[in-house]
Amino acid sequence: MVFNSYTFIVFFAIILVLHNLPLPWKVKKINLLLASYIFYAAWNPPFILLLWLATIVDYYVGRRLYTEPNKNKRKLLLVVSLIGNLGMLVFFKYGTFLLENFTAMVNAMGIDYHPAKPNIILPAGISFYTFTTLCYTIDMYKRKSEPIKSLLDFSLFVTFFPHLVAGPIVRPPQLVPQFESPRTANQKQMMQGLLLISLGLFMKVVLADSMLAEPANTIFNAKEALHTLDAWMGVLAFSGQIFFDFAGYSTCAIGVAACLGFVLPENFLYPYGAVGFSDFWRRWHITLSAWLRDYLYIPLGGNRNGNTRTYINLMITMLLGGLWHGANWTFVVWGALHGFYLMAEKFLTDLNAKRRLQPVPAHDPNIRTHGVKAPRFLKVAPSNNFVYALFTFFLVNVTWVFFRATDFSTAWRILHSMFFMVPTGATLLSYLTIIKITVIITGMLGFHWFMRNRRVLGVAERMPWWLLALVWSAMLILLILSQESSSSFIYFQF
Amino acid sequence: MEASHFKKAGIVTLILVVVSIGCWEFYLRSKNYPVSYNDDETLWSIKRKVIYQPINEATVFIGPSRIKFDLDIPTWESITGENALQLSFVGTSPRPLLADLAKDEKFAGKVIIDITEGIFFEPNEKMSNHSADKALEFYKDWTPAERASSSLNNILETNLIFLDKDKFSLNALLRDIDLPKRKGVFMMPLFPHGFEMCHSNRQNFMTDDFVRDTALHNRQIAAWRYFGDFEKKKGIRGDSLTAVFKKVKADIDKITERGGKVMFVRTPSTGEYWSTEQYVYPREKYWDALLAYTNTLGIHFKDYPETANFTCPEYSHLTPLDAIIYTRALINILEQKGWVFPHKTLTAYNQTKPAYHGF
Repeated sequence: MVFNSYTFIVFFAIILVLHNLPLPWKVKKINLLLASYIFYAAWNPPFILLLWLATIVDYYVGRRLYTEPNKNKRKLLLVVSLIGNLGMLVFFKYGTFLLENFTAMVNAMGIDYHPAKPNIILPAGISFYTFTTLCYTIDMYKRKSEPIKSLLDFSLFVTFFPHLVAGPIVRPPQLVPQFESPRTANQKQMMQGLLLISLGLFMKVVLADSMLAEPANTIFNAKEALHTLDAWMGVLAFSGQIFFDFAGYSTCAIGVAACLGFVLPENFLYPYGAVGFSDFWRRWHITLSAWLRDYLYIPLGGNRNGNTRTYINLMITMLLGGLWHGANWTFVVWGALHGFYLMAEKFLTDLNAKRRLQPVPAHDPNIRTHGVKAPRFLKVAPSNNFVYALFTFFLVNVTWVFFRATDFSTAWRILHSMFFMVPTGATLLSYLTIIKITVIITGMLGFHWFMRNRRVLGVAERMPWWLLALVWSAMLILLILSQESSSSFIYFQF
Repeated sequence: MEASHFKKAGIVTLILVVVSIGCWEFYLRSKNYPVSYNDDETLWSIKRKVIYQPINEATVFIGPSRIKFDLDIPTWESITGENALQLSFVGTSPRPLLADLAKDEKFAGKVIIDITEGIFFEPNEKMSNHSADKALEFYKDWTPAERASSSLNNILETNLIFLDKDKFSLNALLRDIDLPKRKGVFMMPLFPHGFEMCHSNRQNFMTDDFVRDTALHNRQIAAWRYFGDFEKKKGIRGDSLTAVFKKVKADIDKITERGGKVMFVRTPSTGEYWSTEQYVYPREKYWDALLAYTNTLGIHFKDYPETANFTCPEYSHLTPLDAIIYTRALINILEQKGWVFPHKTLTAYNQTKPAYHGF
């Protein structure tokens, strides 16, 4: 079930009524759990078995991990949990990819091997709920928090429908305590939740699906070299589409949870207003970045073992983060580019810190450190530098080419069209489409810059109520008029 | 205080939205626009899932737009006592749909394939198969949630005119803005509003306003011309044509071997369309050759006096009234060709005189 469907409206209305009936808290939690299973099964009922398996295994393994005194047994239990969780993920998400690469490798070695193409369907949200359960068992192994006492609470933590299929990726301390005492939304929470759902649907349905998806698809599906303007417009359209699609989902999820009286962590904080890549990853898919930081980057050693090791750790984290997004080498390159950007940024930050210790002569137009001249534009800028934010956005757009392209030849063709004038490049986008993309992307950048240190509910609260009503109704009217219901969210495929 | 801020905004929002959308709906009703359904893969899937009926209970129709306009489904169903399952897509070749029916071991029913040569024999299959491929892909992964949404959507579309995505969605309204054409960009011509409406049974129809207005006919004819439909070029030949015949025959054989029946029809076209089609796709090399190669019966509109002299307002599709007449004639001809309709009653036939009350 997707948030932007009529089924969900009916489903959610029933859940809201049930959740606000004078029933015991345990009954309400069972209602929410059953509703979450229905929400998930509405895609492909058999895959609910995987969810149950992951829940049961991790619940009992988690408890044993916490209580087991024997170190070796604890390690064995952790391995069981990792194999169970990652094994499912590898089979369903990377099975075909691994087989293709293995086949290519043995063929390159001269062995004639052509296996039948496996027909593996990716269960919705497997990457998300695998990370949710993984962090629980790793926390239990490290005894970072207490095990969840009831199977009902653990099942609800894993399955709670607002976050189940596309995040935000929640940690036990963020959600489990909320299941311990009765919760319903008060009037303010309910209205804020509805506002967030409206905003999320507006982002997804109106901006991502109705306005930006088609030009992005047109450009990335083109088989010929493109006019530079078209190539850039297509990439900008995708950068808007992927943000509005995914941030729209997260906003809906947070709004839905709020209407039920729960609080989910924020997942996006106006990432295109980011100044630099550390800042970008503190604003884009925050719960995944935090997960990768806490369960991958820091265990690898983080920045504790010198610069070289820090760079390596950064790159490993971003490569695996790329691979998490999809079983394709293009995603690995996307991750590698982000890893490179982060490394470059760290290098420049360190350089700048050293430069401060050895002041540059005032007449020198360039920054000089250790005999290396760094161009002025690469100087780490103050956080209010809009130009630097635009430069970050420009570099992010380059990475989106690899993220969206289905293969490297498409990616190279688009990059070539973007950066090298192709006089005979095909023109595919109409003036109307170009105007739409320009208006939306310019508005998005301005809005992200304005909002980068603000929160949407805070701004809504400070607005005059009539102005809020006008903005809210404009979003809903455009949502109804766009008539783009029921298309899946991009991140479901991850 | 804070709660009342959001509450006041929420209430005013609700009022503004209901009033605005209500006004929009009333405005469209005042313009006499009929209800028209979104002819998308969801509506198609609703029909696709009910094809497994006994052979004497239903007939499946596949083809491009002509059969969607020319077959009057209420007339067919009331005379034959059988369901007409319209699986055609506008501008789309029936070949992928035929392949899908052939591949489906559970299907052993009757199929009528409408031949519009320019689409059926189109060498660029990617273009002529696009809608069918999209629908088949959608149907394969049609989730329970999407099925439930389809039912709810159907109720809303039955009652609200503004929910016609092709004509009144945000993008459709923006498309109406008159901007200069960018050099080299292919722009879909805008069809007149009353030309291509769709019932919930997937039958297409023209509005009364369209049927009456020759200026609108000319706009639509200009659209066909823009697509290059009147260009007198050479059609597909040689091995490519034989490959098409071969594939179609293989698919038909699969259906007939399971006990199903297949019939080709060539629905009417007139004027510049018909003359171009005769030039590009001479009958003996395409229609006759197809029937002979596949060993399948066919009904060409020019072969029967009751179907030979229709006038298509925009050269390619019948008016709603002519669709009723054509459908009655088609049933008679099918019987002459040996098709049996056990549920057919004379009373029903007599009661369905060509009476049309407009849309």
